Amino acid sequence: MRNLFIYIPLAIIALFVLGPFIWMLSTSVKPSGEVLSVIPHLIPSRWEFDNYAKAFASSPFLLYFWNSFFISFVETAVDLTIGAMAAYAFARIDFIGKRALFLVLLATIMVPGEVLLIPNYITITNLGWVNSYQGLIVPWLVSVFTIFLMRQYFLSLPQELFDAAEMDGCGPLRTLFRIVLPVSKPIWITAALIKFVGAWNSFLWVLVVANSPSLYTLPVGLINFSSNEGTVYNQLMAAATFTVIPLVILFAVGQRYFVEGIARAGIK
Amino acid sequence: MSYRARRTITAYFMILPAFILTAIFVMYPIVDSFLISFYKWDMLSVSKPFVGITNYIYIFQDPLFLQALSNTVLYVVSFVPCVIALGLITALLLNQKIRFLTFFRSAMFIPYLTSLAATGIIWQWIFNDQFGLLNYFLGLFGVSAQNWLNDPQWTLFNMVVMGVWQNLGYVTVIFLAGLQGISREYYEAAAVDGAAWWHKFRMITFPLLSPTTYFVLILTTIDAFKVFLQVYVLYGESPGPNNSGMTLLYYMFDKGFNDYHMGYATASAYVLFMIIFIFTLAQMTLSRRVHYEG
Repeated sequence: MRNLFIYIPLAIIALFVLGPFIWMLSTSVKPSGEVLSVIPHLIPSRWEFDNYAKAFASSPFLLYFWNSFFISFVETAVDLTIGAMAAYAFARIDFIGKRALFLVLLATIMVPGEVLLIPNYITITNLGWVNSYQGLIVPWLVSVFTIFLMRQYFLSLPQELFDAAEMDGCGPLRTLFRIVLPVSKPIWITAALIKFVGAWNSFLWVLVVANSPSLYTLPVGLINFSSNEGTVYNQLMAAATFTVIPLVILFAVGQRYFVEGIARAGIK
Repeated sequence: MSYRARRTITAYFMILPAFILTAIFVMYPIVDSFLISFYKWDMLSVSKPFVGITNYIYIFQDPLFLQALSNTVLYVVSFVPCVIALGLITALLLNQKIRFLTFFRSAMFIPYLTSLAATGIIWQWIFNDQFGLLNYFLGLFGVSAQNWLNDPQWTLFNMVVMGVWQNLGYVTVIFLAGLQGISREYYEAAAVDGAAWWHKFRMITFPLLSPTTYFVLILTTIDAFKVFLQVYVLYGESPGPNNSGMTLLYYMFDKGFNDYHMGYATASAYVLFMIIFIFTLAQMTLSRRVHYEG
């Protein structure tokens, strides 16, 4: 009896949360005739996987996928590398001006990214990087949040680890990449996932910097497809599914790190 | 050279790449944005006259900006309580000894991860007045079909529903972590005293959870002030019928990249920034009075 009061509300919440995705999947394989029916059916009478092929034929989604992947991958790899270096210095090296520099970096987290949009667009224009991969990628190569997350973790590592490395004659860079990073797997996976998802879903910046479809990422390509083929809902849902699925897979693989990382960042 | 000086040089080399990029793409723009807000500039022409605070005066007299301001505030005061209440309830339910905890927790998180572009398009289809799922569903209960996307009176509702849906998992996960941090001993003591469920919530859970609640409150509010993309996608790249979905960030985007009025755009971005800044400061001052464990 008591369980019913827990499971029934949970089922309703789960339906609210997952319902739109189920509806998206269902619509994406419906024949055109069934999409616009007044009484909606969840299970199509015929599974029309052709919708995916048609969506791919009218818009270069594989190219968008590649752009999304390439941009997100480069941003994440660079962010983790130079973020880990900065985090190591802030956490484990005692140097002049450390506190002040760290506070300056930390203060920038408070500023909403949207304030940066116009000046950054102007910078990119002056560099001649509008409509280029550099323009899309370079402004996002570092995230202060990554530095902060890793620094907190490095601070918690035992001093003996660093003493041993120094005795072996390891410099800071070698200590970082050979000793510290291998034992910091949970935190760099968390940081990488957060950065990758953020880059994958980034919209406004891609919208203003990429002027030609050859540079569109999946989200922007999807909106572009939607304004061209707005009423073809089965193909539109097929395209939306294609945008959503890669991240769901990534999440399924790393969900433990993800949820715990977010929760940990939230509690501090 | 002293040991400390050597370490300082090494440290600076390790910080340098991150610091240069942050300086160019974060720190400089914060200052530059503020400066541009005092000029009349279309970004393309060489002419860039200084106009003082004219841009700020203009936007505060622009009915569209005032509408954006009021829409944004309405969205914040509707969305934040909804998502916090629902997130807390969900976390409390998940914090019982239940089966499929990992499944529920992960499933709830998916909307937060997926791109607003994709989810906006799904919701556009759900809100469709003729063939949408929502009208069909309400029809089962005898509610007449509504023109969700073309009737301005529903715009705020649509935005809140989609916002809550998108952020519920995130809020729940943070609340759940907070709940799991509360020591069992308090509840055991309360059980000895025979305290009722509601009593335990009011006397133990809620006070001990308050640091988490404040954190979630600040985070969701800051995020809510920046609402833009869900409107942009839901209404097919428009601010909704009669500008009913015009928000501060939409206004900035519109002035900057449709009208090429960089002065108005940066001025409105700074107004948004100041609102968020003042709000965060106020919340932080308030949170000093929050009840902390131990």
